[in-house]
Amino acid sequence: MKRKRMMEALEEDIRHHLERETRDNIERGMSPEDARYAAMRKFGNITHVKEETRAVWSVVWLDQLLADVRFGLRMLRKNPGFTAVAVLTLALGIGANAAVFSVVYAVLLRPLPYKESSSLIVLNETTPMVGTVSVSYPNFLDWRNQSRTFLEMAAVRGVGFNLAGVTQPENISGDAVSPTFLSMLGVRPFLGRDFEASEEKAGTPPVILLSYSLWQSHFAGDPNIVGRTIKLDDRSFTIVGVLPPNYRSLDKTDVMLPIGVWARDNSEDAKERGARGDLVVIGRLARGVSLTKARAEMEGIAARLATEYPSSNDRFGVALQPIRDAFVSNIRPAILVLFGAVMFVLLIACANVANLFLVRGASRSKEVALRIALGANRSRIISQMLTESFVLAVLGGVLGLALAVAGIGGMSRLIPADILSGSTVNLNGAVLLFAAGAVTLAAFIFGLAPALQLTKPDVQSELKEGGRGASVGAGQNRLRAALATAEISLALILLVGAGLMMKSLYRLLAVDPGFRPDRVLTMGMNLRTQQYSKDPAVLNFWQQVLDKVRVLPGVEAAAVGTVVPLTGSHSRQDITVEGMALPTPGNYPHPDVHIISPGFAETLGVSLLRGRTFTEADDEKALLVGMINAMTAKRFFPNEDPIGKRFMFGHPSAKNAPKWCTVVGVVSDTKLYGLANPARLEVYAPLRQNATSEMTLLVKSGADPAALASAIREAVQSIDKDQPLFAISTMKELVSNSVSTRRMTLVLLGLFSGLALVLGAIGIYGVISYSVAQRTHEIGIRMALGAPRRDVFRLVVGQGLKLAGIGIAIGIAGALGLARLMSSLLYGISATDFETFAGVSILLALVAGLACYIPAQRAMRVDPTVALRYE
Amino acid sequence: MSTKEQRERIELLQGTLDLLILRTLRLGHAHGHAIAKTIESNSDEVLQVEQGSLYPALHRLIKRGWISVEEGTSENNRRAKFYGLTPKGKRQLTLETRKWDKLAGAIARILRPTKQESGS
Repeated sequence: MKRKRMMEALEEDIRHHLERETRDNIERGMSPEDARYAAMRKFGNITHVKEETRAVWSVVWLDQLLADVRFGLRMLRKNPGFTAVAVLTLALGIGANAAVFSVVYAVLLRPLPYKESSSLIVLNETTPMVGTVSVSYPNFLDWRNQSRTFLEMAAVRGVGFNLAGVTQPENISGDAVSPTFLSMLGVRPFLGRDFEASEEKAGTPPVILLSYSLWQSHFAGDPNIVGRTIKLDDRSFTIVGVLPPNYRSLDKTDVMLPIGVWARDNSEDAKERGARGDLVVIGRLARGVSLTKARAEMEGIAARLATEYPSSNDRFGVALQPIRDAFVSNIRPAILVLFGAVMFVLLIACANVANLFLVRGASRSKEVALRIALGANRSRIISQMLTESFVLAVLGGVLGLALAVAGIGGMSRLIPADILSGSTVNLNGAVLLFAAGAVTLAAFIFGLAPALQLTKPDVQSELKEGGRGASVGAGQNRLRAALATAEISLALILLVGAGLMMKSLYRLLAVDPGFRPDRVLTMGMNLRTQQYSKDPAVLNFWQQVLDKVRVLPGVEAAAVGTVVPLTGSHSRQDITVEGMALPTPGNYPHPDVHIISPGFAETLGVSLLRGRTFTEADDEKALLVGMINAMTAKRFFPNEDPIGKRFMFGHPSAKNAPKWCTVVGVVSDTKLYGLANPARLEVYAPLRQNATSEMTLLVKSGADPAALASAIREAVQSIDKDQPLFAISTMKELVSNSVSTRRMTLVLLGLFSGLALVLGAIGIYGVISYSVAQRTHEIGIRMALGAPRRDVFRLVVGQGLKLAGIGIAIGIAGALGLARLMSSLLYGISATDFETFAGVSILLALVAGLACYIPAQRAMRVDPTVALRYE
Repeated sequence: MSTKEQRERIELLQGTLDLLILRTLRLGHAHGHAIAKTIESNSDEVLQVEQGSLYPALHRLIKRGWISVEEGTSENNRRAKFYGLTPKGKRQLTLETRKWDKLAGAIARILRPTKQESGS
């Protein structure tokens, strides 16, 4: 601003000056034209004057910076090889960091679209039998009434619907919520209205909010949607609004309805205190209340309810977690490990570039020393060198971001969709900011050490050494060796991490899941419409499906069943084993319950250990039968034959006669909760004796099971054209998905440690080959004095291996400390697994040896006469 | 201007111009053209200021706070920028003059050792 004003004043001055001079000249008798020219000549170069004046008013450091940047660019252009290697190295480091940070941001940092989300708490019930479980609706009502630490609480009950009458019938999911839910979150409908308090009561008219995406996909974003109706499960719902596009919840939400609508349709669930099915409570802490205080209060409430309602609440507690943690689930350790790993990669890249700078700096050290000797300001030279580093880092950063864009694409495919829970991984402002930070940090890390080293004050020794010719200061060599050692240590830590992950995944995939996942297709179906409200209709439907699917070409076996392993959906129930001592209500055996058709065990490949599986004869008129898994057999019938023993579902009661099921078979344990988790008690009951409307169809095929999907869909829709099939997946995919977090960690960690290994090898190679070049003279003397070539070889490789050895030792110490941080990601091995540590150390030593081999070969070929003449 | 005339004139040393400007302004406010003329005539036209170079020097002095600038009317009723010494500039002038005397004396002693010795 000031500069502009002063420049205007200058223009005026110049005009005035020239007028005066011209007039003076005219008075001396010149013609007006000559007078003007003479004045201009005498004034000099006007542009030059303006330039100089502008320089007076410009900011000095900015000009200096620009000059330094230009100088840096010139230096980089002069050394294209150096520049290319350095930029590429940095690009890999920064790019990998930006890509991983984009995941860190999406999963851990992106603000949740709620008002003051830090005071939002997710509440669940807990039982020592299972762990965290859903909340029963009556318990929620009591929590809400009795709690003082929570300002508000809302129930969120997962619901599903069949949406028919569109091109293809589909299953949509959503939440039935307390009417205060959205306002508690601070979410306002995008269109229409929020729910009203009266809509909490059972029997309220069916109204519904659509998700933004459902509104777009099924109603083409119709702006007059409010007031129209949507038909779900045979029923009309009045659409009262649309959720905002950025609405996020823990599960997929296609629709939202007031809990009163759900309570009418599920009156038993809504009243039964022991019914805990897919209901979570979200509460907002009162101002100033800590989580600890709220937890204490809620535990007290739960304990009172357990005493008051022992049959349903004995030993049930309450679990509270911040809503952010609920979104992040258990992915945090994996992501933090990867983030740490990728930072190590950047550090290694920086060490490599610092080494390159030192090598190149060696040729400039004389110039620098001379400048300092002539009185140049040391800090000025350092800032100039740092500017050059910064220019390099920026180039690396720009290329790195391009790599990150590609990397994000690749990673998105690796990342299990459910861990993102509605967030997206992309290159956004936060990632750019992070990348800028990484660039700055990197520039300092790799720029400062060489700059300080090259400008170190003992100018004389530098000039003297330089004067002698070939060598550089011992300090520089020490620094370079230290950098290479650090690279090796960091690479070792990463390799140990990758090694541990690889071994874990290998062990995990070798776990016997208790079933044969090959060539099995699973498809979910839920019979919700009126025509299936009576048992025979449900059973008939499943029977028809099985009859039709079993005759399809390529189908080897087919069955329906509940609770397919690794799907995350579970059904558990207390059982009473005949003759057992009756425990308190919270201590009954609580197995996973499978309702299955005949052929289930055969289709899924669950092995029969004793007795028989179910047959068509086990129908509603026959003796009630059941199967148990090996664990249940061992627990309750340790030294006897379980066949013929009896159990019943639920607790014995005085009112009803016990419905005993006779055990007819024992089957192997299945890993329902993931390969890494222990098996649990399981019991099986035949479908015909327990009509169930939501089942999974399992089909074993002779070839690729996925190819059967459309034929099966046609078969099902020939029975009921409005019946959707959903969650179509092969068992192989389910197994694969169940280890997807670990696989993602392994792939990325493997990639990063491979990168680290290569960079570390380049680092060692650089140091050793430079040292050979420096020592050509010495080697020549040794050989002239009769040293055998293999001694020279040993000398050089020995130098490299010494560096590698120190690096490996430091790395092992670091890895012993750091690997513990990833113990939650490991399976079947300890974080200090000897084999992994030994294997990785040997690998690194081999690679380091290989990196020294080429320079050692070169050293062996040194011709003494040439080497000495060189001097 | 003939080439001969030019040869007789002396180019100004770096930094000397600043001193001359300060000295000129001690006589009172003046506009740019007048300052140039004063320097030329006071040195019997020996010191040749390339007139344009005066202006960056003036701006440098303003930035240092040694001189100030204000609007004024020149003798023929034209608006012009008038430059004047600030108190800080006056102190600087004393300082610079003393430094200059020392330097000039020292150089003179080196160039004409005998004459200086006999003179003292």
